[in-house]
Amino acid sequence: MDTLLLARLQFATTTSIHFLFVAVTLGLVTLLVGLQTTWVLTGDPKWERLTRFWGQLYVINYVLGIASGLVLEFQFGLNWSGLSRYVGNVFGAPLAIETLVAFFLESTFLGMWIFGWHRLRRGVHLALLWGVALTAYASAFWIMVANAWLQHPVGYRVRDGVAHLTDFAALLTNPTLGMALGHVIAASLLTGGMLMASVSAWHLIRRTADFALHRTALRIGLVTAALSVSLVQGFGFAQFGPVGELQPTKFDAGPTADARIAEWTTRFGPGDYTPPVLSNVGLGFMILIGFTLGCVWLLLPLLWRDWLIRLRFPLWLTLLALPLPFVAVILGWLAREVGRQPWAAYGLLPTDQAVSRVDPGLMLASLIGFSLLLGALAVTNWTLLARHAARGAVDPALGRPPGTPDDDRSRPIPALA
Amino acid sequence: MPLLWYALLGLFFAGYLVLAGYDYGVGLLLARRDTPAAHRAGLTALGPFFLGNEVWLVATVGILFGAFPTLEGELLSGHYPAVAGALAGVILVTVGVQLRSRPSGPAARRGWDRVIVAGSALAAFGWGALLAGLLQGLPIDAAGHVAGQTHLATPFVAATGLALLALAAAHGATFLTLRLPAADAPATARLARRLLVGALAAVATATALGLLSDRVRAATRQPLPAVLLVVALVGALLAARAALRRGRPGVALAATGAALALPVALVGAARWPAVLVSTVDPAATVTVTDAAASGSTLRLLGWLLLPLLPALLGFQAMSWWVFRGRTDGRAPVYW
Repeated sequence: MDTLLLARLQFATTTSIHFLFVAVTLGLVTLLVGLQTTWVLTGDPKWERLTRFWGQLYVINYVLGIASGLVLEFQFGLNWSGLSRYVGNVFGAPLAIETLVAFFLESTFLGMWIFGWHRLRRGVHLALLWGVALTAYASAFWIMVANAWLQHPVGYRVRDGVAHLTDFAALLTNPTLGMALGHVIAASLLTGGMLMASVSAWHLIRRTADFALHRTALRIGLVTAALSVSLVQGFGFAQFGPVGELQPTKFDAGPTADARIAEWTTRFGPGDYTPPVLSNVGLGFMILIGFTLGCVWLLLPLLWRDWLIRLRFPLWLTLLALPLPFVAVILGWLAREVGRQPWAAYGLLPTDQAVSRVDPGLMLASLIGFSLLLGALAVTNWTLLARHAARGAVDPALGRPPGTPDDDRSRPIPALA
Repeated sequence: MPLLWYALLGLFFAGYLVLAGYDYGVGLLLARRDTPAAHRAGLTALGPFFLGNEVWLVATVGILFGAFPTLEGELLSGHYPAVAGALAGVILVTVGVQLRSRPSGPAARRGWDRVIVAGSALAAFGWGALLAGLLQGLPIDAAGHVAGQTHLATPFVAATGLALLALAAAHGATFLTLRLPAADAPATARLARRLLVGALAAVATATALGLLSDRVRAATRQPLPAVLLVVALVGALLAARAALRRGRPGVALAATGAALALPVALVGAARWPAVLVSTVDPAATVTVTDAAASGSTLRLLGWLLLPLLPALLGFQAMSWWVFRGRTDGRAPVYW
């Protein structure tokens, strides 16, 4: 096992875990903004209960988003020191902006939002959630700016073997940015919407308490999923144009790809410049899932007179479809990143020059250690998420009025209380 | 310009150690055999500040990557075990604190408490080891790469890791003295004063080992500021102890906070103008100017980020102001 392969495996594992959680974060926070805004505007307690229930699931999911994101951020320095050495002047800027402008504020706001129930005025409390959502979107934007630069480096000049920033505006108008950002955001909304619809469908199948509450959430989730799945497809197919032109080796072999490979062979020496087939296979499956999820439009007419709930089987379909968006976001991410190989920055910095000069044994230990740690925490997190989703909206800990007794079961509970 | 960014990098890392320092201190104190209610009270005291504290680390690494890309790669990969250990610790603490009270069974909560204790210890020790690694220099070859990781295996690194752990524990107990209901204050103040003695001993050991180490002496470019900062550190710890005895926990927390910020200033000042000192090839030593990003990048980041800095710090200050004071029966409980 060489250091390069181990470092790539570690990055793939961490990014995949990270993506499963941040897609839900971005999708759910958008829906939460809608729920809490409606609550503040109407004053109807139903919306408060929906905000607390879904807010709690959002906050639990957020935990692993931070943890895996931290590992990713450090990995650039730990495993990919060549990346910061050769292209850090350009690639580092959007990442620095993301951490300070977006993530720093997002966490500050979220801490105040979680503990601000019954303490802050309703308007301020709502503004904090809006702050969390806006900074989450800003995060997605700056991360995609950085990623788009790796796909298609622009706005730099190489001096003494190191890339220097010459035109920051070019990074923001990168042709590999816009459609991909739209695609990722729509996919996150689709994931969030499907999660909301599936959890609600489970409650409606089991005929738990709060029929009206879960019925509302099911409708919101399905409509969100339907609208966003069309956006996902649109933004997805719109990317083939720029990708085919700017990254000809990514998805297809052809004269353009051969010409680019010939150019690289003269500049960088002979080598294998075609990406692994994995990216193409992943792309095919993702598109298949995308079309399958498009069928969610067929469920919308059944919202009329609650046929969706009365017929039962559409609820089962909604529940069983839950894994699909998660599988699709992983496959999509793999297609984009594996298709970039063998480049760290496409046509500029080969991946083998970006990796740190670290002993393979150390890299292997790091891969195993962090994968086990994040994997175990991810499974634990999902177990807790599932339990809290199943427990329903009866009394979530989030937003519980102060002074209510702790839910610690070690206290004796008076009989027949 | 590089100097300004170097100061900002130091400010954010010091801010992280001061704020997350009491997170880890409170985390370490969960190791005590206490009632579940006492454990929950400690976490409730952290409550609204916890997420805002931890994120200072993310910002630090962001500045490191944006403004000092060359330094980022060699600094982190050159101290791989220390950084990876600290990172694993940080993850265990953030996940542990946030998920700890989601299961309602006492056994599960005890389990998560152990996770938080282990994570806090790893994080504090790891960051201490990283600071010590910087102070003693590392084997950077002529090509600018660090060879191997055995350079970290010294008594000075171990002692500094333990010293930071002891500082965090004392800082955490001081924070609880200020924040828990007034009835608990005398007991936590006594604990904090005992822990401060431990911290003084740990700092003295690390200092002695540092003075005895050839590598630390060779890597130190500015001996006078270094000695003065160590004296200031000891002074801060003594001041914290005195303030606790007089029943002034606010002053004591400021002093223990200073004690956690001073090691960062010490590491920055002692080696100035170098940021990475090579122990094998003097020509391979990296200075602040060498390590900084090119002028165009720093100008861009300066225009974009410096005007926003007051807003960033302002929202943090808002969270401290809104949730100021001792926790009582009306405090929101979530962690």
